[in-house]
Amino acid sequence: MRACFTATAILLALAFAPFANATVHDQLFQGRFDLPADAPVSTNAAARFLTQATFGPTQADVAYLMAQGYSEWIDEQLAKPATLGFPVVEDVVNARTNGGQKVGQTQRLNRWFWQATYAPDQLRERMAFALSQIFVVSDASSAINQDIVPMTAYQDLLAADAFGSYRNLLGDVTFSPTMGKYLNAFRNVKPTIVNGVQTTSPDENYAREVMQLFSIGLVELNLDHSPVLQGSPPAPVPTYTQPTITSTAKVFTGFTYADAPQGSGPPNYSGASFYGGGLNFTSESSPMACWGSELYPESGTGSGNMKHDVYGDDGTTATGKTVLSWFVGGVMQPNQIPANQTCGKDVGDELDIIAGHANVAPFISRQLIERFVSSNPSPAYIQRVATVFVNNGGDLGDTIKATLIDPEAENPPPLAAGDSYGKLREPLLRLTAMWRAFNAVAPAPDAYGEIGMTGNTNFEGSYGQGPLESPTVFNFYTPDYQQPGTLADNNLYSPEFQITNAATMYSTANSYYGFTKGAYQGMTSPPGNRPLIDLSTLTANVSSPAAMVATINADMMYGSMSSTMQSTLTNMIGFLGSGTSAQEKAWSAIYVTLLSPEYAIQR
Amino acid sequence: MSQNRNSRREFLHKLCCLAASGGAAAMLPQLRMLGTALASSPALTGYKALVCVYLSGGNDAWNMLVPFDNTRYNVYATARSGVYNAATNPGGLALTQPTGAQITQQVVTDLNGASGSNQYFLHPSLTATGSSLAQLFTQKKLAFAVNMGSLVEPITMAQYTGGTVPYPPQLFSHADQTNQWQQAYASSTATVGWGGLCAENLQAQGANLTTNPQLPLSISISGANRFEVGAASVPYQLSSGGLTALSGVCNPTCNGNNGVRDEALNELLRAAYSSDFAGSYSELFQQGRDLYNLLSPNLVAYAPKTAFPANNSLASQLQQVAAMINLSHAKGYASRQIYFVELGGYDLHSGFWNATGGHASLLAELSGALSAFYTSMGPTDVNLQNDVTVFTLSEFARTLQSNGSGSDHGWGTLQMVLGGAVNGGKLYSNGGGPISGFPNQAYGSMSNPNPNNFSRGQMIPGIGVEQYAATLAQWMGITSASDLGAIFPNLKNFPSSNLGFV
Repeated sequence: MRACFTATAILLALAFAPFANATVHDQLFQGRFDLPADAPVSTNAAARFLTQATFGPTQADVAYLMAQGYSEWIDEQLAKPATLGFPVVEDVVNARTNGGQKVGQTQRLNRWFWQATYAPDQLRERMAFALSQIFVVSDASSAINQDIVPMTAYQDLLAADAFGSYRNLLGDVTFSPTMGKYLNAFRNVKPTIVNGVQTTSPDENYAREVMQLFSIGLVELNLDHSPVLQGSPPAPVPTYTQPTITSTAKVFTGFTYADAPQGSGPPNYSGASFYGGGLNFTSESSPMACWGSELYPESGTGSGNMKHDVYGDDGTTATGKTVLSWFVGGVMQPNQIPANQTCGKDVGDELDIIAGHANVAPFISRQLIERFVSSNPSPAYIQRVATVFVNNGGDLGDTIKATLIDPEAENPPPLAAGDSYGKLREPLLRLTAMWRAFNAVAPAPDAYGEIGMTGNTNFEGSYGQGPLESPTVFNFYTPDYQQPGTLADNNLYSPEFQITNAATMYSTANSYYGFTKGAYQGMTSPPGNRPLIDLSTLTANVSSPAAMVATINADMMYGSMSSTMQSTLTNMIGFLGSGTSAQEKAWSAIYVTLLSPEYAIQR
Repeated sequence: MSQNRNSRREFLHKLCCLAASGGAAAMLPQLRMLGTALASSPALTGYKALVCVYLSGGNDAWNMLVPFDNTRYNVYATARSGVYNAATNPGGLALTQPTGAQITQQVVTDLNGASGSNQYFLHPSLTATGSSLAQLFTQKKLAFAVNMGSLVEPITMAQYTGGTVPYPPQLFSHADQTNQWQQAYASSTATVGWGGLCAENLQAQGANLTTNPQLPLSISISGANRFEVGAASVPYQLSSGGLTALSGVCNPTCNGNNGVRDEALNELLRAAYSSDFAGSYSELFQQGRDLYNLLSPNLVAYAPKTAFPANNSLASQLQQVAAMINLSHAKGYASRQIYFVELGGYDLHSGFWNATGGHASLLAELSGALSAFYTSMGPTDVNLQNDVTVFTLSEFARTLQSNGSGSDHGWGTLQMVLGGAVNGGKLYSNGGGPISGFPNQAYGSMSNPNPNNFSRGQMIPGIGVEQYAATLAQWMGITSASDLGAIFPNLKNFPSSNLGFV
């Protein structure tokens, strides 16, 4: 399992090919004029679906989806190999370093935005972004913020594993040195015993967060994500206690770089260096090795190299580790990991126990629905998705398909007062969707092979979110956030509102301004560090403001724009000064739409 | 769970509406809390502000203030896995006991303490010349609240292990303990913070002096936070960089096409929306525009004259707080304000001794920012030193025991309170419960149990967060027992509702 990710990554890297629009056209007219049974009812319906499932609809993707139908489109996306960042960012970083240029997160982010905007495996890339908000690592941490290339590899790992089994993803995340450094499993060591007294204990960070955030959460859940209530008065049941964490921390000990020198062998293992290794980007990005009894004796000569805790709860004797209990039929069913196992066996057992917990299906399903479709899914919707997760062995591809083709995702209720369907769009996705709607063209690679996308924007600061840039392991927002006022009064969840406030409203808007007014094709002195949008679909109709607005409605808002908003924008275009260029009319309409309440939500 | 999630919020919200609508409150004597305050003559005089400094990640507070006498110091050093030495004990977390000139610089005397056990030393990062918190402590402007944590009611080790007394859900979890500190309420289903509820109470008492636009009494310089979320209100948020104009429209003056775009944007923001998400978004955006127009013409002119440390995120935030306090006071926007700032990076499971990002550098940042802020409130600058109280919150202290390169999540911790109104120079460690005083730091084992302290040096708190919070709330002018009870539902479980530090 540990070798799996690297091997897959190489295969996928070979398979990678740039997106070519021509293929879409060819497939459309290869003798398939019969419409699939589940074809979208309209191009607006198709664009709406692509707003949920991708980084934003393009006209080409809308046409392709119309021809494929939902199910086949999803299946094709599930089969597409991951577009990878590692090879590209590694080359750019090396070229910049050799050229005496500074290297920073900008190099990783430029590639991330390029993939989001142009990669053909759109659903996989979206899924990887959603997973990166559950299995969080962040450049806000000094432990990894210099690891530009390994952080790119972590993003690749999420993309490569996006449609495999949950257990496989959990394993690859656990063995990732980037996650290891972020949550301290890397070089976490067994307890120190001095004269029979334990003076240090293993770090508990990963043990806690892998359960609280990556798998099961804090309380026992039903399949529809409602909490199990027990006792009198009925109360939620905690999934684990502090002693569970302390014991589980002992499982996650002994990890270091795969290339840390393991020594010359028995009896002395001379040259072994637990704190060595990490000599190149590949080893800094490869699954960690674990220095347990598979490598070194448990006692006697050479045993000092064994950094994994083979013992158990009391740290000194072979008692085994009392880890997470399963909750079966309302009763706690304890799990023990036996003493004296190899590290690989210990960690494998532990991850099997976590992945086998009944909470995983509703816990993960609910968060995927929140990222793709709506902030307040019905319990029945969560249960339908979670059931697929359970029945298909935690297959994430099947799970995301069930999320997207669910009737609740496809059919919004008619808009009426007090509507709570859908969600606030993530501010980053509002940007990528605008780029894709207007066929933004990326600048040519610079002398170091880097394609500028970000305009040097501080996304975490301006938008309240940036790829792998969360301020803490709790992501930019929590799944349970309720915006005070109308939303909280109606007991509605609204995660994205947690990063929406007077300050970020302004900074996000100003950034959008720089990506519209400040970056379109045909402008004088265009910037070289961001894509340029193509305004021609709008300027072609410059004499008809209503036609311009109709294009914006179809391409940015899948036909959902209210008539009030349509007339506001139409009037605005008409009122712009008489000398106003066609381009300014076009970007003005896009910019004001980007700021509008109707574009800000997805429903 | 879903039935109860908002019961406190709805209750308070309904109360606000009742109070605002006048006589209805009088007909329901059991709902008097906010109504009484409204009906009575204005109790609030002058201007006061609270500034919450949140140290996120769990500050290893037992290294901020350390017993100086040999007996207790040695217990401390052993519990912290020995004195740190890069060569011989890299896993040790104990600070070196000060000697010689360091004693003058670092050691302070607790005026509440008994002779022989009343001397402590502050972390060297807190005692740099020019920004010394030790000096502010000795000048009686700074106090420590000691061994405090999230509690449902006072509890002992025996009661905890026996399960005979309720204790907070999800101890040792960052997100939950952060919420519980910011709620001053050990509940995993609450959704409101004590800063926000206090602001709403103060608003009902007439603390907001402006309308249209109305500047919320809660202001955050560090994004969304539970602390300032009220039953029906959220904080106004601005960045430490101050206010930046909105591109391509009016701010508020403009001409030409900016005016045309501005009109369109305003129409869209003022339209009615059936979607609650769209409606909430437009409300938030519109409020932001109104307040920008109110504040931006003057904010820069009211910046404090005091120099704040450079490259210090907390200092930049507090500098903005000083400007907002100065402006709000001068323009009469409000008679009470509650601010929130935050410094992260305290979750030092590893890298405890790193020169960059380690505990010492975080405390240096904290100390530099706090002392600059205190100076800025002084008579030669903003001149509100006695009217502004700064206090820290952090979700927990950490295990005294090392994990080899850092420490893990604990429970009871200590916090600082700073300001001209503070009864400083003292440690406040007695909440009236069974555990009090500076705790014995020897951790328990089977053969040598310590009733305060779990096996890795996680302290059982002697003071509940609500006792600390209620003390600050009373200083702000929330004095009725029923009002305090509504804001702090578990306060009734504690022997004392005022620790006396301010």
